[in-house]
Amino acid sequence: MQTSVLILVLVALTVVGFYLGRSRSVAVAGGTAGSAQLHSLPSYYGYLTAIWCGVPALIVLGFWMAFQDNIITHFVTADLPAETAADPGQLGLALNDVKNLVRGNITSRATDPAMVAAADHYRQLQTISRLALTVVILALAIGGIALSWKRIGPALRARNQVEAVVMVFLILCSTIAIFTTLGIVLSVLFESIRFFRIVPVTEFIFGLEWSPQMAIRADQVGSTGAFGAVPLFAGTLLISGIAMLVAVPIGLMSALYLSEYASRGFRSAAKPVLEILAGVPTVVYGFFAALVVAPQVRGLGEAIGLSVSSESALAAGLVMGIMIIPFVSSLSDDVINAVPQAMRDGSYAMGATRSETIGRVIFPAALPGIVGGVLLAVSRAIGETMIVVMAAGLSSNLTANPLEAVTTVTVQIVTLLVGDQEFDSPKTLAAFALGLVLFVVTLTLNVIALHVVRKYREQYE
Amino acid sequence: MDTVSVENEVIMADDGIVKPVAGGRATIDRDNRETVGDVTAKNPRMRCREVSVFYGEKQAIHDVSLDVGSNEVIALIGPSGCGKSTFLRCLNRMNDTIDGCRVIGDISLDGDSIFDTKMDVVQLRAQVGMVFQKPNPFPKSIFENVAYGPRIHGLTRDKTELEAVVHTSLDRAGLLDEVKDRLGEPGTGLSGGQQQRLCIARAIAVNPEVILMDEPCSALDPIATARIEELIDELREQYAIAIVTHSMQQAARVSQRTAYFHLGDLIEIGETNQVFTNPHHQLTEDYITGRFG
Amino acid sequence: MSNGTITGAGNPGRTIDTVRAGLDRRYRAERRFRIYGLSAIVLGLLFVSILFITIIGNGYPAFQQTYVKLDIDFDPESLGIGDQRSNAALSGANYQALVRNALKVRFPDVTGRSDRRALNSLISSGASYQLRDAVLDDPTIIGTRRSVWVPADDDVDQLVKGHMDRAAAEGDRRLKDNQLAWLDQLQADGAIEKRFNTTFFTAGDSREPELAGIRGALMGSVFTLIVTLALSFPIGVATAVYLEEFAPRNRWTDLIEVNINNLAAVPSIVFGLLGLAVFINFFGLPRSAPLVGGLVLTLMTLPTIIIASRAALKSVPPSIRDAALGVGASRVQAVTHHILPLAMPGMLTGAIIGMAQALGESAPLLMIGMVAFIVDVPGGFTDPSTVLPVQIYLWADSPERGFVERTSAAIMVLLGFLIVMNALAVLLRKRFERRW
Repeated sequence: MQTSVLILVLVALTVVGFYLGRSRSVAVAGGTAGSAQLHSLPSYYGYLTAIWCGVPALIVLGFWMAFQDNIITHFVTADLPAETAADPGQLGLALNDVKNLVRGNITSRATDPAMVAAADHYRQLQTISRLALTVVILALAIGGIALSWKRIGPALRARNQVEAVVMVFLILCSTIAIFTTLGIVLSVLFESIRFFRIVPVTEFIFGLEWSPQMAIRADQVGSTGAFGAVPLFAGTLLISGIAMLVAVPIGLMSALYLSEYASRGFRSAAKPVLEILAGVPTVVYGFFAALVVAPQVRGLGEAIGLSVSSESALAAGLVMGIMIIPFVSSLSDDVINAVPQAMRDGSYAMGATRSETIGRVIFPAALPGIVGGVLLAVSRAIGETMIVVMAAGLSSNLTANPLEAVTTVTVQIVTLLVGDQEFDSPKTLAAFALGLVLFVVTLTLNVIALHVVRKYREQYE
Repeated sequence: MDTVSVENEVIMADDGIVKPVAGGRATIDRDNRETVGDVTAKNPRMRCREVSVFYGEKQAIHDVSLDVGSNEVIALIGPSGCGKSTFLRCLNRMNDTIDGCRVIGDISLDGDSIFDTKMDVVQLRAQVGMVFQKPNPFPKSIFENVAYGPRIHGLTRDKTELEAVVHTSLDRAGLLDEVKDRLGEPGTGLSGGQQQRLCIARAIAVNPEVILMDEPCSALDPIATARIEELIDELREQYAIAIVTHSMQQAARVSQRTAYFHLGDLIEIGETNQVFTNPHHQLTEDYITGRFG
Repeated sequence: MSNGTITGAGNPGRTIDTVRAGLDRRYRAERRFRIYGLSAIVLGLLFVSILFITIIGNGYPAFQQTYVKLDIDFDPESLGIGDQRSNAALSGANYQALVRNALKVRFPDVTGRSDRRALNSLISSGASYQLRDAVLDDPTIIGTRRSVWVPADDDVDQLVKGHMDRAAAEGDRRLKDNQLAWLDQLQADGAIEKRFNTTFFTAGDSREPELAGIRGALMGSVFTLIVTLALSFPIGVATAVYLEEFAPRNRWTDLIEVNINNLAAVPSIVFGLLGLAVFINFFGLPRSAPLVGGLVLTLMTLPTIIIASRAALKSVPPSIRDAALGVGASRVQAVTHHILPLAMPGMLTGAIIGMAQALGESAPLLMIGMVAFIVDVPGGFTDPSTVLPVQIYLWADSPERGFVERTSAAIMVLLGFLIVMNALAVLLRKRFERRW
């Protein structure tokens, strides 16, 4: 049976289970009139039966689907010639070909008898697995209904059991956040460790040259690969720095203006318009940067006699800054509004003007919160991908000149991982090492920022 | 200002200004109402005539007239929501900061209208200082808190002069001895009473002529309150002071004149002794004797 | 002398004079500051308008496409099918020849191989597909001659839309002088026309701008979002309910909360790395599939949905829960019968905002291979596909002017969806907002 059909059948069985369980409980209690004798409402018996029917079967189905491929592959590997199986690179290619053969695609090795045999075996195992899965799932579902049917009686605490299952479900869902973090850490960490076995950590962190093109074969001439990430870090900082130079003054000043000067009408009109900037997808900004801003910057630079790269850091940074404006302004707005009115009153009562009040009282009072917000914005700028992929350069360049092209950590992750890749080459692994750096840096910034902002809020609560 | 009517005792001819109602309470006829007592002061610093305040459509203050005189403390008392704080905030135009708040009538400081175009709000507030209900020191050092006014107004020419101003102001607020070794510490770290005295020091550092105090002791314990009251009494020698208070005892202790507000109207005003011992208006009497409030 | 200032006893006038003297300067500073603030806002608003004007200005022509009228002779000989009328024969016939013949008849004086080629290149290669579909639809037209509007090549399209400078030197133009002359003839005959570009909404990706459409990417987005919504909404709501209604305050729930807050700020590309390492390399799920895209976006949007749902649950007053518990409901019943329905509008708002975020996201999808050139419109959750923002990214890389236009048009479609979703969220919030 197809997996999708199997799932539909399972759903149908679950529904059937619900009605069976409910009617059974009514019957056991001696009709609707007697249902007061039941511990729980009849529908809870229905839910309980449905749970017994669906949940175990679903769990088995999930595990089966997750591991079926790996297990079948393991069996098929045994069929392949020993020399192929011994070399991981060859093995990967061979397995790929086998899978292609199974799908009926024509590959270069269609004539190799070993491969054909392996493909047949693979197909055979797949059929067995699918059949076994169908049997097991249906058996579990029907068995669940039967078991529950037998247990239903006036004394069965169906509601409590259903609620216990609900609680387990809730708790499981709430742990997903932890598992996601764990998944991120483990997936980037493992690959990074493999990378650092090939390229020393010190070279990665302190090396000044980045050219990840590695010779795939030993006899290939040319690039040997250099994995010094300093140019990437510098490029990231340069572009983020430009973005901050745009976003912080504009975002902060507009937040101050909106909260301290603007009339209510102006505020309620201008704020949503500014927030539109936050809702625009980053790919749109990337397109805007590449199509409009970069040529303009270049033209402007050339008009005053500067040579500007067509993928200048300035253009990417400017657009990234525009993207971050609403982020800075809404965070600052929250923070400024959290400054108690009493502070403003105290200052105005002394005869201070608005700008004096803002500059000498509100801004210093809000500073910790604003710093927290800016840190969050920096973390966002560092992790921003699409704008730099579309508007910044690809080749590494260690420079502080915003008119030149630089590349960033995220750009390199994308270039290293998009397209064909071999999973064990240092080139691919380097992307994960960069991902690790990115994750650690942004996480640190976020933790500090959230801590600062929380402390700030507590101060005025 | 002399047309007065009280339920039992008629000082002047009753023309229906105050109507007796069941239970001995009196209500006010808004169309035809005047304040009991003398609104003028001997040495008036600020004069208010027919002041009304509106929040949007709602009128919060109805035609209030009174004087704030030099070298005296005038206490504004009344039940919650009677408009005494709102009125106080008119005197240095703090109501300007509230959206939709409109003040009409005439308020003058030393003869100049405070709504006049040549009277600037910054200048007005430098002359009419204010101390708030809750101590609101800025999140800066003690020194910087007191130095704030002189700095923004450019009152001092150099650091030594500024230090002298800060020291004298703290001294006058009775705080210097307690904080002179820790002027660099944040003002928010002081106790409530100290914070309030810091705010008073901050207000007098710009050398105002009038000081407005909006329930300055309501957030303080009795001992701190006593210190502030003492301080108010000392400050009276130099400044005209208007104080809003919820506590009648406090009004009786610190003020020379008392004004009783009720639902946005000034009901009675007079020498503190007279108002407390022999109120002329039924509402005042009810309030003072604790029938409501 | 400073004493005089401080005590004020002797000399009350001095403060006033000093204050008055400084007023002008201070008000100038005030005005300056105010202008800075206002210009910051104006700048922000300016950026919004430039962004939209550029996109719309570049994009709206893409909704039209130039067509050329040709007198096509559906001649079985040219088609190379003789008497065969089977579907297979008709599908494999040489429709290109029909276009070429029609052009030859229309411009009899064009001889020479290179001139012919230049002439033929004016018509899109999509013309032959259109003719094939027409024939397959109604084989009786074979042997007849009729006028057919076929799509022009994208260079012609750009010329007709006025994006090509006729005055430029011939070498700098994509269309040469002789081609321009032919087009002018066609134009004079009324055989060139701009029509609504249906291809843009019905076709998948293509290398030819005039044949490229967003349908494939749109369907990819739909499938991906279905997976995302189906997973993230129940999980997000369940998490929020647990944390808000049941969870004890201890280290464990603190850890969960810290995790959620941090995940909300992790760069999206890191989720892509997670998807690549876990879903594709570990679990062996297919690359480029909406299923994997949906899983990755689920993890990414979960924090948004959880945070919004918790806010919605918090806004339900505790008295409701107490009332339910008071009449003997269990805690689960109190939540499912009373609190969840009341919090639902807020949760849905959060879900819509999360979906809008997922719809615009592209970086993590690049990591899991949803960036391939895919012509076919995907039909399921495991078919290779791309999504709308990634399609925009792919087209943005193409140098042809026709693609610039279509990129902007695709952005307009994407922004249109986002605006609708956000408006829906605002509407939902307004409609069901309750004050307790």
